[in-house]
Amino acid sequence: MPELKASPTPVNIVMIEDDAGHARLIEKNIRRAGISNPVHHFLDGTSGLDFLINDVNGPAKNGPSLVLLDLNLPDMSGIDILARIKGNDDLKRTPVVVLTTTDDKVEIQRCYDLGCNVYITKPVNYENFADAVRQLGLFLSVIQIPDLGDDA
Amino acid sequence: MQAKKLSSLGKDDRTNRQIALLLAIGFIGLAGAVITAFWVQRSSEDNAALVAHTLNTEARIYAFGSANERAETARRGYLLRPLDAFRERMTAGQRERATLLEEIGRTTQDNPTQQDRVHDLRQIVAELEALQNQAVTGVVGVREDLMANFGEDRAVLLTRAVRIKAAEMLAEEQRLLTSRQTRQTATILRFNILLVLTALLVVALSAATLTLIRRNLIDLRASRNELNQLNLELEDLVELRTEALRRANAEIQRFAYIVSHDLRAPLVNVMGFTSELEASRVTIDKFARRLAEEAPQLLDEPTRLAIDEDLPEAIGFIRSSTQKMDRLINSILKLSREGRRTLSPEQIDLAALVGGIVETMQHRIDETDTTIEIGEAPRIVTDRLALEQILSNLIENALKYLRPGVPGRIRVSGGVLRGRNVIEVADNGRGIDPKDHERVFELFRRAGTQDQPGEGIGLAHVRALAHRLGGTIDVESTPGVGTTFRLSLPLEWRPGESHA
Repeated sequence: MPELKASPTPVNIVMIEDDAGHARLIEKNIRRAGISNPVHHFLDGTSGLDFLINDVNGPAKNGPSLVLLDLNLPDMSGIDILARIKGNDDLKRTPVVVLTTTDDKVEIQRCYDLGCNVYITKPVNYENFADAVRQLGLFLSVIQIPDLGDDA
Repeated sequence: MQAKKLSSLGKDDRTNRQIALLLAIGFIGLAGAVITAFWVQRSSEDNAALVAHTLNTEARIYAFGSANERAETARRGYLLRPLDAFRERMTAGQRERATLLEEIGRTTQDNPTQQDRVHDLRQIVAELEALQNQAVTGVVGVREDLMANFGEDRAVLLTRAVRIKAAEMLAEEQRLLTSRQTRQTATILRFNILLVLTALLVVALSAATLTLIRRNLIDLRASRNELNQLNLELEDLVELRTEALRRANAEIQRFAYIVSHDLRAPLVNVMGFTSELEASRVTIDKFARRLAEEAPQLLDEPTRLAIDEDLPEAIGFIRSSTQKMDRLINSILKLSREGRRTLSPEQIDLAALVGGIVETMQHRIDETDTTIEIGEAPRIVTDRLALEQILSNLIENALKYLRPGVPGRIRVSGGVLRGRNVIEVADNGRGIDPKDHERVFELFRRAGTQDQPGEGIGLAHVRALAHRLGGTIDVESTPGVGTTFRLSLPLEWRPGESHA
């Protein structure tokens, strides 16, 4: 299984998604695409942000990460989390993939305006869904994650 | 407020009646003054005539007195010197006296006192005349007798009596004259007083009328201001209601939007894990086939059936139901998005619009051997996209529900009816049962045989759009004959007049 980047610390995938089912499906399909990077899953925005900013393994303290973000969260809006990430000097280079059910144009534009790197709508049709996630996996395998670590 | 308005109107009425009454009194007063003036004029004319009559009578009495004196003087002259000239002068005096007495008798006919005096005078004058004539006959001795008894001459006494009577009559005429003049003065004075009173009345009435009219005008101005105020308040109220309605509508739209999104999330799971289940079934199926080859005694019939039939069937139903639910949710989302779109009115050429719609459906029109007629098309100002969606939904429906085997005929026409644009889409299709005429406009409801794909969204969408454009839509249909949808829109729609 290829690592996302040939760096001493593997790229962490941080998934903030309140729906356990969605999270499971996303992870399954990422694995099917051949991505074996560690996936850190958080069910709400608070703990997700806490990991991103304060955790020793989080992108702010250590090592490159990629954020998979759902917009409809119980405690805060994904838009707020996106704004926090892009407004934080330690985090702003971390790629954020918004993966959500909302396909409202205004919402999508807002996400891109805030600095979201990729916006994917979760299709109800499972084949499309699996495809989207698998393509995301392929995408993950070719992108260069900026090196955020001090020691890298 | 209503009551206030009414009361001020009522006051108006009362004031009008008062003004009319005052004016009427004023006119009656003026007419009275004119009639009085006329009457006073007549009465003073009469009075003047009477005064003239009295003066005339007076002059005659004077003349009568002087003729009497003259006759007597002539007689005495004759007694002193019997000349013919004296006798002639006496006879002339006597004639004049008699004539004047007759005239006086005639002019004082209306006065019994004077008539009595005239009567007395006639007797005296008759006796006097006889005595005077006797004196001048020239019979010897008579003159001498008379001269001898000059101191006791009866004629002298009678002459004095005539003088006294004439003086009495003069006094009487004088009295009459004075009384008539007094009466005349009194009449004129009364007339003057009446005139002054009438003038005062007219002035007072004018003042009262002016005051009433002024008050009326003030009331009218107050009413007008009140009306303006009410109008403003009403506008504010309408504005307020419209705003509330708009907010409620926006809330419903937002609600529909959120609900459909939140419904979507679990569906993603249902679909996803169904696929996972299917993948697992494939794995189990492979294993079962291997088992069937290597150890057929371990694979019993129920297991085989479960893998081959029950599982695929269950998964199939879950799939189709989820897909249907997804379509419904998408439809609601679409409706909610449409509802949030800002509408902008513009001038629309209906014929061109319908032509464009027909073009996009040309394939289906040719397939079903349908002719589409575009009739009269009025000028219309409304939102282009909304009208296009309404008409394309209606035409699409008409094409969808044609009677199999009957060439379709669809007619789109417009016209102005009672100040509104009415656009009709009529077909000769299978028709809609009367009990479903209202139902077809409801969301997710469809009528007739369910042999065509669809979610029951189209007409609900059409009706929502019609309402947003300030219009209405209804249907007339006979099953097996055809259907006519009638869209009624304002001639010129302005945003903010929406009913939705």
